[in-house]
Parts: sequence; C-alpha cells; structure tokens
Amino acid sequence: MDVLRSIGITEPVIQFMLVNALLGLSIYLTLYTGMFSLANAGFMAIGAFAGVILTQTFDLPLAVGIAGGAALAGVLAIPVGLPVLRLRDIYLAIATIGFGEVVRILILNFDPLVSGIIGQRVTITGGALGIKGIPKLTETWHLVGFLIAVCYLIDRLHRSRFGRAMAAIRQDEKVAANMGINVVYVKNVVFVLSALLAGAAGAFSGHLTRIISPDGFGFAQAVNILAFAVLGGGASYFGPILGAVVLTGLPEVLRPVREYRGVVNGLILMLVIVYLPGGLISFFPTRRSLQRLRRRLFAPRPAPPA
Amino acid sequence: MNLIQQLVNAIWLGSVYSLFALGYALVFSVLGVLNLAHSAVFMWGAWIGLLVVTQLTLPLWIAVPAAMLGAGLISVALERTAFAPLRARGAPRISQLISSIGASFFLVNFAQLLFGTNPERFPIGLIPAEAIPNLPFRVTPIQVVILMVSVVLMALLNLLVARTRLGQRMRAVAFNQRTAGLLGVNVGAIYMITFFLAGALAGAAGVLYGLAFNQITPFIGDAIALKGLTVIVLGGLGNIQGALIGGFVVAALEVFSVAAGGSNYRDAIVFTLLFLILLVRPQGLVGQKEQTRA
Amino acid sequence: MKKWIWVFSLLALLTAPALVSAQMPTMESLIGADIRQTCPDPTNLPDTVTIGSLLTLTGGASVFGVSQQRGIQLAIAEINNSAFLGEGVTLEVIFEDSASDNNQAIAAMTKLVEEDRVIAVIGPTLSREAFSADPIAQDAGVVVLAVSNTANGITDMGDFIFRNSLPEASVIPGTVAGAVDQLGIRSAAIIYANDDDFTVSGANVFREAFEANGVTVVAEETYATGDVDFNAQLTNIIAQNPDALAISALAVEAVQIILQARAQGYQGVLMGGNGLNSPAVLQQTGADSEGLIVGAAWNIGSPNELSAAFKAAFENEYGNLPDQFAAQAYTGAWMIASAIRCADSTDSAAVRDALAALEMETPLGFFSFTEDRNPIHDPVVQVNRGGAFAVLGAE
Repeated sequence: MDVLRSIGITEPVIQFMLVNALLGLSIYLTLYTGMFSLANAGFMAIGAFAGVILTQTFDLPLAVGIAGGAALAGVLAIPVGLPVLRLRDIYLAIATIGFGEVVRILILNFDPLVSGIIGQRVTITGGALGIKGIPKLTETWHLVGFLIAVCYLIDRLHRSRFGRAMAAIRQDEKVAANMGINVVYVKNVVFVLSALLAGAAGAFSGHLTRIISPDGFGFAQAVNILAFAVLGGGASYFGPILGAVVLTGLPEVLRPVREYRGVVNGLILMLVIVYLPGGLISFFPTRRSLQRLRRRLFAPRPAPPA
Repeated sequence: MNLIQQLVNAIWLGSVYSLFALGYALVFSVLGVLNLAHSAVFMWGAWIGLLVVTQLTLPLWIAVPAAMLGAGLISVALERTAFAPLRARGAPRISQLISSIGASFFLVNFAQLLFGTNPERFPIGLIPAEAIPNLPFRVTPIQVVILMVSVVLMALLNLLVARTRLGQRMRAVAFNQRTAGLLGVNVGAIYMITFFLAGALAGAAGVLYGLAFNQITPFIGDAIALKGLTVIVLGGLGNIQGALIGGFVVAALEVFSVAAGGSNYRDAIVFTLLFLILLVRPQGLVGQKEQTRA
Repeated sequence: MKKWIWVFSLLALLTAPALVSAQMPTMESLIGADIRQTCPDPTNLPDTVTIGSLLTLTGGASVFGVSQQRGIQLAIAEINNSAFLGEGVTLEVIFEDSASDNNQAIAAMTKLVEEDRVIAVIGPTLSREAFSADPIAQDAGVVVLAVSNTANGITDMGDFIFRNSLPEASVIPGTVAGAVDQLGIRSAAIIYANDDDFTVSGANVFREAFEANGVTVVAEETYATGDVDFNAQLTNIIAQNPDALAISALAVEAVQIILQARAQGYQGVLMGGNGLNSPAVLQQTGADSEGLIVGAAWNIGSPNELSAAFKAAFENEYGNLPDQFAAQAYTGAWMIASAIRCADSTDSAAVRDALAALEMETPLGFFSFTEDRNPIHDPVVQVNRGGAFAVLGAE
C-alpha cells in the first residue's frame, strides 16, 4: 500500500480506477456485441444526477441512489436504443455522441425548463455549476464489491446462450440473423445493460467527487471511456478493467515529470496502442488474428541456425 | 436587414467549418479512419503561420504555404507513427481512432510546452479588419477570403480525387487496399500523399482561422474538433462535397437557432437534427448508399 | 564637529536601505513591510517550510493556472530573498497540476495533504475543482487559500477554507453604477456562456445591477464555452440597439466578442467583470476596446505602489504584463507567508488563525478577511484609455 502511495496511487485514485473500470465494462458490453456506441458518458450523467438527487434532495440511502441512477439510465436507454441501434459503426458512434451532447445541454437547461413548465423557480440540476456539496458516501469496498458482482454476471452472460448470440452478432450480423438470433432484441438488451452499468458508475462517481456538473460528461469523457476499453483490449472483460486502471493511474504516476506530464501521457497512450498489440489485445479480434496470436505464442521456437 | 445579416453570418461560419472539415473528410475517404488528431495538426498549422510572420517577420503570403508544408509534414509523421504500424498489423479501425487520440494529446501538450498558454494573434493591422463599405450587411475582407478559399479548395480537391491519376489511385486504395497493391499502386505512398494533403489543408485552415479569430492557443483545435466531426458525418462521411455542404448546414442550424432566440439550446438543436438525419439518411446528405466503415 | 557626525549618521541611515535594496529586488521592502512591523521575526520555524499549490497547468484552462503559478513563484522568490520567514528559513512550494479535471484535483490534493504534508494550499484554479478537492484539506485541517474561486459557497466548506478573490457580485454593481453615472446608459444587453458558473453568475449580477440602476435589459444571449464565432448572437443584440453591452465572459471569448461586435458596427459601451481584466484583452483587441469598462478586483494601472512594484517585478521576470490571476495568486502567496510569519509555527491551525486575523497592504489594496473568510478590499472600475486601463472617472 505504501509503495502505491509513494508513486501517487492514493485511495481516491484507486476509487476512480474502480469507477472507470465499471465504465470500461459498460462500453465493453456494447463493443463485444459489435456496437460502436459512445452513449456511455450521457448515461453516466443521467445516473450521476439522478443518483445524487435521490440521496440529497430526497435523503435516501446511497444504495437507492445507485439503483435509481442506474434504473433511470437503463429506462431511458430503451427509447434511445430502439431507433439508434439500426445504425452501424461510425454512424452509430456519431449518433450516440449527439445523444450525449443533448443530455448534457438538457441537464444544463433543466432548471429553467422545469421552472417554465411548472411556473415557479426550482433548482434541480443546478445549471452550469451543477450540484455541489455532495457527501462522499462511496467507499472503496462498495466499488470493489460491485465490480466483482458485475464481473461475475458478465462471466455468466458470456457462458449463456445470450452471450453467444452477442458474439455471433459481432462476428456477422446477417449470419446471426439467419441463425435465428433476434438481433434487434439482443442489441437493445445489451444497450440497456450497458446504460445500467454506466448509470451506476455515474451515481458512484457523483458521491466521490462531491460536485457534479454537466461539463464533466461531454465528448471528452465519452472518448475517455472508449479509451479504457480499447487500450485494455477486448479479448476478455479483464481488458477494460486493466485499461481503466492504467489510464487513471498514469497521470498520477507521471506527476514527477511535471510539465512534461501531458506529452509523456499522450506518447505512452499512442505507443501502447501502436506497438503493444500482444500486451493489450486490440478489439474485434477476428478468429484469424486470435489463431495467429495463439500460433505465435505457443508455436515451438524455430531452432537457431547452426 | 437582420435576416440578411444572419444569412451572411451563417455563410461565413459555414465556410470556416467546411475549411476545417475538408482535410478530415479526405483522410476518411481514403483510409476510412477518423483522424482525431486532425484538429491538432490544424492548431500546429496556425502556430507555424504565426511564427513565420512574427518571428521570421516574413509576409503573410509566405506564411500560408509554410504552414501548409509544416502541417503537411506533421501529418505525414502522424501517419507513419500512429496509423501505418496499426494498418500493417491489420488492427481494427477503432484502434487507429484511439491511436489518433493519443497523438492529438501529444501534439497539443507539446505545443503547450513550446508556445505556452497565452493566446497570441497575428499583428493588428496585418489584414484589414473593417467591414467592406457600401453593403447592406456587414462582412470583413477576411471573411470573404475564407469563403472563397474553402470553395476553391473543395473544387480543387474534388478534381484531384475525381479526375487525376493520383486521385484514381487514392480511390483504388480506398476501395480495397490489397487489390490496389496488386494492381501496382504504391499503397504506402498513397497514404503518405493523402495525409500530406490533409495536413496541408489543415495548415491553411489553421492560418486563415488564426487570421479570422485573432487568437491562437494550443487549444484552438479542441473546440472545433467535435464540430468538424458533425460536419463530415452530416455531409456524408468521406465525401468531399459533403464536407462543404455539411459545414454550411451545421452553421446555418447554429446561426438560425440563435436568430430564433434559442441560443441556450443551439447545440442541442444541432445534435438532435444530426440524430434525426442519421436515422433517415445514414449515408449523410450527399453520400451514396452503404459504405460500411468503422 | 558634532554637526558632521550628525550628517554622517543621517547619510548612513538614508543609504543603508538603498544599499540593501540594490542587492535584492526592491519588492519585499514594500509588500510585507507592515507585517514585519506587526509580527516579529519568527524563531520557531524549521529550515524548510512547505506549502502546496494546486493549479490547472495543462489543458484548456491552463492559461489561468500558468499565470497564477508565475505570480506565486515571483512571490516565493521575494519572500526567500528577503528572509521574510527569518534567516535560513526557506519557503518551498510544491505545484501540482489538476488538468482542469475534478478527479485529478482530488488526487493532487490528497497527495499534497497526505504525502507531502503541506501546511497550506494555494488554489485550486477552478471553483468546481475547489468543491471537489477542498473538503480533503478541510478534513485534514490544512489551510486552503483560493486565489481565483468566485462561486458562492466556497468558504462554506469549512473553517480552513479562505479566498482572496472578490466574486463578481462585489465587483459588477459598482461597475454598472459607475457606467450609468458617467455615461448615462439607459438600455443594455448581456452576453454570457451558459455552461460556466462564473459567467452565469456574472450575468445574473449584471441583470440585477442594471435593474437596480434603472437600465432596461433589452437582449440576453448565450454561447458555449470554446465558441469562437458570436456573430449570430451579436446580430440579435445589435438589432435591439442597446446603449451598453455587458460581456460576462473569460478573456479568450471576450476578445472575440469585442472584435466581432465592433466589426458588426456596434458603437455602444462595452463592459465586463473580472474575466476581462487581462492585458491580453486590450492587446488583442486594439482600438476596438477603446472605452471598454471593466470592474475588477485589481487594476494594473493602480496608483497603489505595491501594485506598481508587483507589475514591474513581474514584467521584469517574465517579459509580459501580469493579469488579475497573477496578481491575486502573488498576493495569496504573500498572505500565506505572512500568516506563517505571524503564527511563528507550521501548525495548520495556528496558521489558519493568523490568516483569519491578517490585515495587510497588498497589490489588491488594504486587505482583510470577513468573519466567513471571504475577502474585504475595494474593487476598482477601470476604463480602457489608449490601450491601458485607467480608473473610471479619475481623468
């Protein structure tokens, strides 16, 4: 523990790692099903604001805040997912970025909007500053416990019929449909699961950072979340967790290099993704690339030339 | 009067967006990859142009080609370090996206190390800032120049891609890299040329942007990055005319939502419309049907 | 003969300080001079006294943080050169970067408080970072002095949280009253970023101040942080033909708004708050900002000699003029040093008590804290005359 602290990994950093791991897993689910969705930052925002409003305005326990935040994000994912999941690849990515921006702007303007409707001034989301003075209710063991539970459920999911359907859709949507998989159903369910997870992560994080403001959930955050999953690799759900841990810890570990921190951080991110394909396995592994990898790893070494 | 002025505002803003998006769209059209470091190259172009004018005290007409050259070379370096190794490995496109984010992070922070954080500008009086007289609306000379430059560059780029042998090869690579290679196209060279062109366009855009908005910082690319993305998706990914049209459409949406009194919801309106257009016409406003890409 | 002795001793008395100040920067003889009088040289301090500073040094908001860092570094050099904390005692600052990120602000504050065990922290740059990170220092009993936070409720976080930055609410009403008084404004428009707490609260204060002074607000427009083109909003505003345009913005956007308003032919009065109080605004807008009225916590053209000395020392060190962020951060570092000197202790609680009781001359004017650790000093209303800020109404 002391070794970690001395390189800048203090308890708050570990807590952020755990929250980010949840976010990484949330985008992992959609990527695993072949959906390039960047809606997670938006769902995180919904979960954070709903969760904090439940514990602060309504004075409910943290567990209710987490459940409520996750549930609202999950419910809202249904009307978003139904139309938008018809899109593929980059079109889906852009549409979901659009969704995230709309969420952010609606949260920003929520108070005047609601005040206008009900005819009296109310403060719910707090506009640009957001909600401040949130007590730090999230404990490390909450996050560890939640993460383990989520991993267990994802593991079960992978072994289930549903999980195989997810993988089949990623490999080829048309073939999957021909095999009798209800593609629309599977995609939408996964989208909702992903939103639930992002919402829970948002609610947890709101009770860690003590203030939540709409600007924390924009495009930059959407891209960060994607980076957790992609850098970590998608061969298993361990990848996004690893990615989140590394990407969250790196800026802290790099504090001693002072003003070169940003440059070094960017360089490492680039080098890892470019030159360490075996270390952090890249996403959408085709069967062939996996086989190639397996061959490279387990093939008998060629005898050295005599 | 007011409406005419807003129309002028929209056309002007549209030409800025289009100018920025051209290089973005070019890379996408050939590689099928979103280069999120494009905005960082654009920022470097602006700085190179500025330094040529302020440090080397050279005239503006040298600064623009110098910035294009410099930004083009940075862009080629980007291709060699952030994209080529991934392509060689057959890595998925999403890895290239993340790699370009890392590159962008590096370029922006490196610029901050070199240039600091204080905003700088081209010397006052370098270009006339007064509105052109005797018009029923207000427009400055630089605004007209940027509009003309973006239309001309779009036309040239379109000609290049559609009419020349180089363009033919670019399209061949875009269609299928391996087949193009078998047909004797030097694929690596095509990638480098494409990136050079895209970088040069970004460099020109950077200088003009710096002239128009009088403010150059390491962060000028950040604000326009998402706009550029919106523009090229709306126009039709990888479609060069689309980038131009997308720029004007996004600008018109922004300006007229403000004109209608909705400045609080301006970006929400833009993204909602983007959302709807994607649902109805995922190939964009100008694009052809179905080209699956990540 | 006796006369000669008198003359010699008088000469010696007069030249001695001059000799001293010839060796070192002239600054320390001014700022902190009153504290040297009221508090004796400390005797109980260790050789190195360590404080922290948590600033936004990378990313979009780093233009503020870097300026603050320079102000603090200048102050620390002066404090150490003048042995302000006693002979052989060095004041050391550990700078940490928050990268405008709340999570990083929390991590950095934790590091400063728990690992580096600093006795006080200057910062953070942004109010939202303060709401995230300050409770960590408060819980550990470490003094935090905010030098740029203007949001409501910063010092409500606890008895260890101070600020020396005047919020817009202390600055703008005087600005509006002065402008109305001098220029007879009857109608006004407001433009502000609706996604930034600083600019939103500034706009609210402007709105109230206009109403209080009988000025009709004929138009309000918003933009998003990072925008560069404000023509659409300005066209709407100019169509209403207001006498004055209030700009509640940060310097980067304010420059564009001023230039574009003038390019669209707006002739009325331009005014703003703390965000516009930067030499960069005047330098980058040239003649377009002639007559711009800015209400602020600090005036670069202030006749206050501490302020003049700070400006000269800063320009000498860094080659550019300081902005308000630098002035407040510089003052903050001197205030922390003064509190440490008066407490004669590195115990945070003792330093807090000394800081709360502090009354000193600063570049911001005569400074003290209210009961709830907010700043008390007079704001200034300045006007741009020929590319430099002058006090409004003083001409």
